Amino acid sequence: MFALRLLWRDWRGGELGILASSIVLAVAIVTGISLFADRLQQGIVAQSSSFLAADRVLQSPAPVDNLWLQQAEREGLQQAEILSFQSMVYAGEEVDATMQLTSVKAVSNHYPLRGQLEVSDEAFGSSIKTTASPPRGEVWLDPRLLPLMNLEIGDALYVGEAKLLISKVVVNEPDRGGNGFVLGARVLMNIADIPATDIVQPGSLVEYRYLFAGEADALSRYGEWVKGQMQPSHKWLNLKDTQPGISQSLQRAEQFLLLAGALGVGLAGIAIALAARRYSERHYDYVAIMKSLGATSARVMRIYIGNLLLLATIALLVGCAFGWLIQEMFILILQDYFDVTSTPEITLRPFIIGSVTALVCLLAFALPPLLSLQGTSPLRVLRRDLPNSGLGNVLTYGIGVSGIGLLMFWYSGNLTLTMAVLAGVGLTFVIVGVFAWYLLRGTARVGMQAGSSWRLALASMRRRGFQNAVQSVIFSLAIMLLLLLALIRSSLIEEWQVQLPEGTPNHFLVNVAKHEVTSLRTLLATNQLETEPIYPMVRGRLTRVNDETVAKRASRTDPTAQNSLDRELSLSWSKTLPNDNIIVEGEWWSEGSTAAEVSMEKNLAQRLQINTGDKMEFLIGSERLVVTVTSIRELDWDTMKPNFYMLFPPGLLNQYPATYMTSFYLPSGQKHFLNQFLREFPTITVIEMDSVIKQIRSIITQVSSAVELVLGLIIVSGLLVLIASVQASLDSRYQESAVLRTLGAKRELVLGSLVIEFSSLGLLAGFLAAFSAELSVYGLQEYLLRMDYVFHPWVWLVGPLFGAILIGIAGYVTCRKVVNTPPVEVLREI
Amino acid sequence: MINAQNIEKTVATSEGSLCILKGIDLEIKQGETLAIVGSSGSGKSTLLGLLAGLDVPGKGSITLAGRDITSLTEDERATVRADLVGFVFQSFQLLPSLTALENVMLPAELKGVAGARGLAEKYLQRVGLDHRFNHYPKQLSGGEQQRVALARAFASQPHILFADEPTGNLDTATGTQVIDLLFELNREEGATLVLVTHEQRLADRCQRSIQLEGGEIVADKRNKPSVVVSASGQN
Ligand SMILES: Nc1ncnc2c1ncn2[C@@H]1O[C@H](COP(=O)(O)OP(=O)(O)OP(=O)(O)O)[C@@H](O)[C@H]1O
Ligand SMILES: [Mg+2]
Repeated sequence: MFALRLLWRDWRGGELGILASSIVLAVAIVTGISLFADRLQQGIVAQSSSFLAADRVLQSPAPVDNLWLQQAEREGLQQAEILSFQSMVYAGEEVDATMQLTSVKAVSNHYPLRGQLEVSDEAFGSSIKTTASPPRGEVWLDPRLLPLMNLEIGDALYVGEAKLLISKVVVNEPDRGGNGFVLGARVLMNIADIPATDIVQPGSLVEYRYLFAGEADALSRYGEWVKGQMQPSHKWLNLKDTQPGISQSLQRAEQFLLLAGALGVGLAGIAIALAARRYSERHYDYVAIMKSLGATSARVMRIYIGNLLLLATIALLVGCAFGWLIQEMFILILQDYFDVTSTPEITLRPFIIGSVTALVCLLAFALPPLLSLQGTSPLRVLRRDLPNSGLGNVLTYGIGVSGIGLLMFWYSGNLTLTMAVLAGVGLTFVIVGVFAWYLLRGTARVGMQAGSSWRLALASMRRRGFQNAVQSVIFSLAIMLLLLLALIRSSLIEEWQVQLPEGTPNHFLVNVAKHEVTSLRTLLATNQLETEPIYPMVRGRLTRVNDETVAKRASRTDPTAQNSLDRELSLSWSKTLPNDNIIVEGEWWSEGSTAAEVSMEKNLAQRLQINTGDKMEFLIGSERLVVTVTSIRELDWDTMKPNFYMLFPPGLLNQYPATYMTSFYLPSGQKHFLNQFLREFPTITVIEMDSVIKQIRSIITQVSSAVELVLGLIIVSGLLVLIASVQASLDSRYQESAVLRTLGAKRELVLGSLVIEFSSLGLLAGFLAAFSAELSVYGLQEYLLRMDYVFHPWVWLVGPLFGAILIGIAGYVTCRKVVNTPPVEVLREI
Repeated sequence: MINAQNIEKTVATSEGSLCILKGIDLEIKQGETLAIVGSSGSGKSTLLGLLAGLDVPGKGSITLAGRDITSLTEDERATVRADLVGFVFQSFQLLPSLTALENVMLPAELKGVAGARGLAEKYLQRVGLDHRFNHYPKQLSGGEQQRVALARAFASQPHILFADEPTGNLDTATGTQVIDLLFELNREEGATLVLVTHEQRLADRCQRSIQLEGGEIVADKRNKPSVVVSASGQN
């Protein structure tokens, strides 16, 4: 009760402002980011699940045992079914009716379980999103098919023996790219109409996909169960298998959010520590007075700890509320990209994380200085200069750093990340501390020749040498963390954008005959389409490596791969090394080489443990070809360009039948070009990847904006640290400026010297921060994010500039009060 | 009431150890008013701190109302202070974040005594600040602040009141007012008063004054029963 009253009195007196707002901020940041990360994750999972139209997919060449589906039923999973195959469809029953080879997809009523279909009532009209699928007796068509087959909505389409009503066009399906390629225009129908078509017979080339959605636990339980039943021809798919590029991007984004959150906590922790330290410094006198009035140490501690707990509870509630607001704000800003229609599952976890953060922050940062209060000697009422026998600084910092470390680890669950950040912070502490101290001591000599404002500033810097060194450490720490985050953010976003830049090939052409190559090249060129080189392709099977069968070797070198390595491969040849490929072992052949050699892709080489010099035997048609591996190439499969596991020198595969393939970029407005194209080259297969790429892009945009927002939030906490740190030195400055002004110094002089002092500190701090940020980024990218490190010259410019301006302004704003208060008033307060 | 025997105080400084008080013997009777005078640095404040139990001597013993405070821990001494002692300081030592009234309530609140508020209001009225209850220290003049400090000191109803240069930060007129008030209250409450000052005028108003020089008592004289004239008339 008494503690509550004291707390209220302290609050009223303005003693608690920064301390309370630091705790509120720490809680708000952590809660806000966790809430947001949770929600983002849910959104992303939902969106990425739409790549499969489900959470998991079981792929099979034949119908699976009904028992399997019953088991999924028992786990409470939602289910849907897809049957897909290539088939001719007809515009009428007559013999001369137009026909077209299409890709038919028959779906059950619950399809899609995740994501939405984009459909329209007109051929190229505006589309709407829906989770409905074609009802029995109806069919939805790729808009391209209507003009191609001279059909309109309302007409009939014949699929095998079944006559179906064309009721809608389907512009996009969530899982269009889910299994790689779609050959031919889409025909979407109800699976219940399949028997009527009379097409699907035992042994026909069809693919069954069983879709499942539901709770993560149930899914993984069922996944385990199904894997126990599966034949080699079955595949159990999740997002990672279908879109490794996206999955990796998302994982990094998540790590970034966690890192940002951890840094946010760290920054807020520093602010709390600073505020608590200032609070206790101001309270040494209070404690001395209370003790002289007869309060025991235990009593004093009860009062202050009670105070702290109360403050923490209040700050916690306020912080949680702010965290919620922050999250809402994020969602508001992101709603253009973000599917907020689905109500998120709000869990308690973010709030618990926020509360624990507050608790740890208090224990690690606020408690040590407060504990040192109890050691205050009551004699202080008589002798103010009495030193306080509190905890040593080293111990205080030690407790603080361990607190942050623990929190970061708990928060991110990632030891490497925690260590990297802590090492960066520790390094900053040591390097910056030592450096700053020496530098600040050296300012004395320069000061002698400087003008008055400068002289005052330099003198003040020197006088507060140690204090300033500590302050520069904190400044540079804050700036460093901000730079660090900015650096990682830009390299993440850059990498994502590099992965799929504007103009990424979005259509693949396969099955191009040799005689078509020239006219194909001409057609693409006259339509001014950006095209990749046209590569020849020979189908062949890798059979032996150095007298060992591939199946046997694979079971030894990569047992998890089962027989996935024992399949047909596309073999190609090239005179020159493809643009994005990098030789990591051996050498590319010299021009005109006719030797029996091959260049192999790195991952496959690793899985089979193949090095240059190894001999490989291929079975092409019925002939055997033995070649030596002379180089190993690294390449990026996510770039949507033709890529090959095996490249041969030109000439070596000449005697085998080859088809050609390429990829090109078709702007979305020119989609009708495909109709013209297919009329001219009816036998060429077009694989349309444009909607998949669009989807990937939208996810990347979302995640990038989230990353930017989090960065903004962290900058706010960085600023708070700066302000708290400036405030920490305010008391002594008040006194000094009052004395100076009493002695006749003008306001401008005093203010000028303060601004110069802070800006110089900021400049120094910024420079040192650039150094340690660069170092930490190197560590993080090299060991955690596994990205290539590049030097960032801008950091060395922005860091010091940012530091000088920001801290100069912070100093000016907070210290203006110092200068504007009449000296009498200041002197009276002390 | 207070009995100090052969007390010595030595502090360690960067230039070696410094002996501030050298073998002080002092007995103060109940209800007595004692002034400690001496030049600056002679050890007055140090002695006061020791007598009040804010610090312990290096040697010797001090009994306060029959209890040997030199053998007590700091917390036990705090309890003794809470029960017996009141303070007035040169620099007032009010808590800046508390109002005048709250400052005066503080000792009672710390003791957990009921009716802290009524008591505080009574003493604030007694020192003539009934209209300044809710003002903060910085809104009060030095003299007013010291009067709040006086109210606080007496609100704890101490047996012994220690004052370290209570007028040191005040001009003569205000100082005299505060001192008049101090003596008046002291007479009403019947407390023992130990007062550090370097003003002879002030020392003369005490029944007894001792002089410290270089950490030793060089004079101990009993004043003639002083004529306590109401100060308000004089100034
Ligand atoms: N803890 C300490 N450390 C170092 N020196 C001390 C300490 N306490 C007291 N002194 C020194 O002991 C001497 C006596 O101090 P004290 O405060 O008792 O003097 P004083 O008589 O009250 O002086 P003033 O009239 O100026 O208040 C001074 O020289 C002071 O500097
Ligand atoms: Mg003194």
